[in-house]
Amino acid sequence: MSGATAAAYLARRAAQKERVRILYRRALKDTLNWAVHRHLFYQDASDLREKFEANKHVEDLDTIDKMIAAGEATYNKWRHPDPYIVPWAPGGSKFTRNPVPPSGIEIVYDYGREEND
Amino acid sequence: MALRAAVLRHIRLPVQTLTAAGSRPQPQWSFLRLFSSHDDHLTKEEVIDRVLDVVKSFPKVDPSKVAPDVHFQKDLGLDSLDNVEIVMALEEEFKLEIPDKEADKIDSCNLAIEYIYNHPMAG
Repeated sequence: MSGATAAAYLARRAAQKERVRILYRRALKDTLNWAVHRHLFYQDASDLREKFEANKHVEDLDTIDKMIAAGEATYNKWRHPDPYIVPWAPGGSKFTRNPVPPSGIEIVYDYGREEND
Repeated sequence: MALRAAVLRHIRLPVQTLTAAGSRPQPQWSFLRLFSSHDDHLTKEEVIDRVLDVVKSFPKVDPSKVAPDVHFQKDLGLDSLDNVEIVMALEEEFKLEIPDKEADKIDSCNLAIEYIYNHPMAG
């Protein structure tokens, strides 16, 4: 019984930690989108890190869930309308620009030669 | 992760080095540009060097402890948020876009080097 609840508790904490990490990653990328100049980005990134570090020691699962939801809402509010995406990634400018042609198609180079030559 | 790496390794084009006279220059000569896009994949030493440089220049890391098989949280004593920051720095260095789920799993230099080396678009 206590083993099962301990495992459930740990599983929930691990899921929350993963959500926090992914949220931090997205927020950091967003900060880079907004603050393009590097010195501004470093300041904003340290501010973001302070915000995450301030809530580091919370232990109650429900409070953590509420904080994560609030953080994700703030992130959604502050998302950049035109983020920088690497060109070949989905959403970038080179994505599916030159798709691989379907297999089985063969181009016959006969340069206009007639068949009875 | 290993299956994905194995699949990616098969999909990548093999590097063909011509040994006849007038052949293309070797990839180690980085001051000579290769204008073809098919044989300029990164060599493993380049990947290792650049990854270690990125990790060493991280302010919270002691540069003398960095080795190619070091674990970020266990050996270098970093936080999980520091892990996220290192992965972002690696993304910027190699001009990659790593999906969130994959980026979450990169925990050590080993995994980072393996992932970047097997990525077809690592620049």
